[in-house]
Amino acid sequence: MAEHDTDIPAESGPATEAGVAAALPRGPGSPGAAPPAAGAARAQGVAAMVRGALGPLVLLVVLFLVPMLCDALFGESAGFQLHRLSLIGIFVLAAFAQNVLTGYAAQPSLGNAAFFGVSAYLLAWLTQDLGQSYVVGAIIAVLACVVLGAIVGGPALRISGTYLAIATLGLVLVAGALLNLWDVTAGRQNYALETLPDIVGDDHGLYYVVLVVVVALLFLGRNVLRSRVGRAWVGIRDSEVAAEAFGVNLTRFKLLAFIVSAALTGVAGVLYATWASTASYTMSSADQTIAFLAMIIVGGLGSIPGSILGAIFVGFLPILLGQLPDPVVVGPAQIQVATLTNGLYGLLLLLVLILFPSGLVGLLQRGQALVTRAVGRVGALGAQRGGQA
Amino acid sequence: MAAVLQVLLSGLITGTIYGLLALGIVLVYRTTNVLNFAYGAIAAVCSCFLVVLMTGAHLSFWVAVPLTLVFGAVLGVVLERVFARPVLHAPVFTKVIATLALVLVLQTVALAIWPSYAEPIPLQTPFVGQAARIGGVFIPLTDVVILGTTAVLLALLSLFLLRTRLGIALRATADDLNAARLVGVPAARMFMLVWALSCVLAAVAGILFASQQQLAQVTLFDPILIFAFVGAVLGGLESLPGALIGGIVVGVADNVLALVLAGRHVGAVSISDPGLREALIFGGFVLVLLLRPRGLLGIGEQRRV
Repeated sequence: MAEHDTDIPAESGPATEAGVAAALPRGPGSPGAAPPAAGAARAQGVAAMVRGALGPLVLLVVLFLVPMLCDALFGESAGFQLHRLSLIGIFVLAAFAQNVLTGYAAQPSLGNAAFFGVSAYLLAWLTQDLGQSYVVGAIIAVLACVVLGAIVGGPALRISGTYLAIATLGLVLVAGALLNLWDVTAGRQNYALETLPDIVGDDHGLYYVVLVVVVALLFLGRNVLRSRVGRAWVGIRDSEVAAEAFGVNLTRFKLLAFIVSAALTGVAGVLYATWASTASYTMSSADQTIAFLAMIIVGGLGSIPGSILGAIFVGFLPILLGQLPDPVVVGPAQIQVATLTNGLYGLLLLLVLILFPSGLVGLLQRGQALVTRAVGRVGALGAQRGGQA
Repeated sequence: MAAVLQVLLSGLITGTIYGLLALGIVLVYRTTNVLNFAYGAIAAVCSCFLVVLMTGAHLSFWVAVPLTLVFGAVLGVVLERVFARPVLHAPVFTKVIATLALVLVLQTVALAIWPSYAEPIPLQTPFVGQAARIGGVFIPLTDVVILGTTAVLLALLSLFLLRTRLGIALRATADDLNAARLVGVPAARMFMLVWALSCVLAAVAGILFASQQQLAQVTLFDPILIFAFVGAVLGGLESLPGALIGGIVVGVADNVLALVLAGRHVGAVSISDPGLREALIFGGFVLVLLLRPRGLLGIGEQRRV
């Protein structure tokens, strides 16, 4: 994480402003002045921090304005477009949850889809059949995921690597089968959420709710990842033995990774059920697991921008493919668009795994490095010419 | 008594199918460290190929079967070249994800070529409708064929791995890739061989399971693949006989549970539901893993520092 160094000046609090004031008028290179080196470094740090925060801030403002933009652009169908965008926001959260567990703490768990489905069903049960309010239902559903995460994480500490992958994939399938059993027993196709609070029932309201929840959780998650906890996870990922030698309590931090990931997935599940206004047992299936993994692998493991890019990618692919005629005819073959979408997920996932193991984020970074180098080279060339002339 | 024997027999048959799948999974896992979640899709594609030959090309079962086995071998070689080799040195988890992605690709390609196989297509084998009755136990010919084929396959596979030069080279590659290379084993060819072998086993499992179910479908193995993995893990993920035994244990447990739970209710919930049975078997599996993290027959974990 290259941004780490930019954090350090921020911790020094009010002193930085004084540092800026002291350093700015003169600048580091001006003769005669002898500003404290720390001040200059701080000023640079603050500048870097402002630059670093500028991108996300602009993005936030844009995201905030998107509904108005949609209204202006699409008119009647603005709600429909916003509804699609909300789904991508929910995917961002789910991808981030998987990334915490897999990208940071390096636990090869395929089990997140189980939490996704269970929290959706709990929300439906609590709000529709038990008459609880939406907020209470959502909170209990997420808390249940915390408990489930701890229950699953406990055995997961004893089961390693390959065995964990099989056990957690089994968990997803079993949870899906049990949720289906619940549906069958209750005599319904899937669990419809008929009564929703007005704010999440409306496309614009839902967009803002998703935006606020996802941004808040991502911000919180980013800070956790930069804290002792996040460093412990990365330590475990890079070398369990070394992390243990440095006093990282493996049991505690692995369990914490499972719980945090389960809780975030639970929130995503609640949001998804709200988005679809129904809970379906297919939320806990192998396909859902693959979708989560595709997001973080295509986006980039162990990176928040990676989770976002991956979710956007996975969220937009069906929309793009939806433009195709259904079924697609290639020579003598006919393919349903839904099948094609699945196949393309798989194919892209494979290509990314084989060709760009660091995902879209890695690709962007490489592109950035290339541009920087090219710019530097052009600059150096210009200087050389100037010198010769 | 006869009912119990009947259930045990059908458990043995289901378990043998799981075991065959587990065998192919372990074979590839031991040599290339790929935990192949696409194995069910491979077997299902082979079973579809068989039915396409029989219904589309009007070949007899006895001609279609060897052709399907050849198809399996070719599929294995192709998969090794285009899929397994590029990810050979990737971490195990990356390979797991890659095989999950491969499932989607294989199923999409299969559905693009044979769109009707999204739904089950009936299959008529020469064994249908023939059965023997021994002491009140009803034994369909298909079951005998499944057991016999598996026994013969296991014998051939052991002979090959233990007695032939090629088999020994294969085991050497599985045990220590670098050492095997040093003594002149062509490792790349070994990987290809092992994928071909594993996919032929998948084709056998596909043919047998499709014969038993009397249908073929692209998603034929989706519901049972996880049981094959459970069997493979119970057998320790390292040993071939262990895989078969593990598969049979799961199959018998599944059928015995079905007998015990049949028609019972807890409140309004029918506990004979297959979903609940799956959950119970799975709970037992996790319990076994907790007590013996390397499976029932696995060797203790070694942690190198």
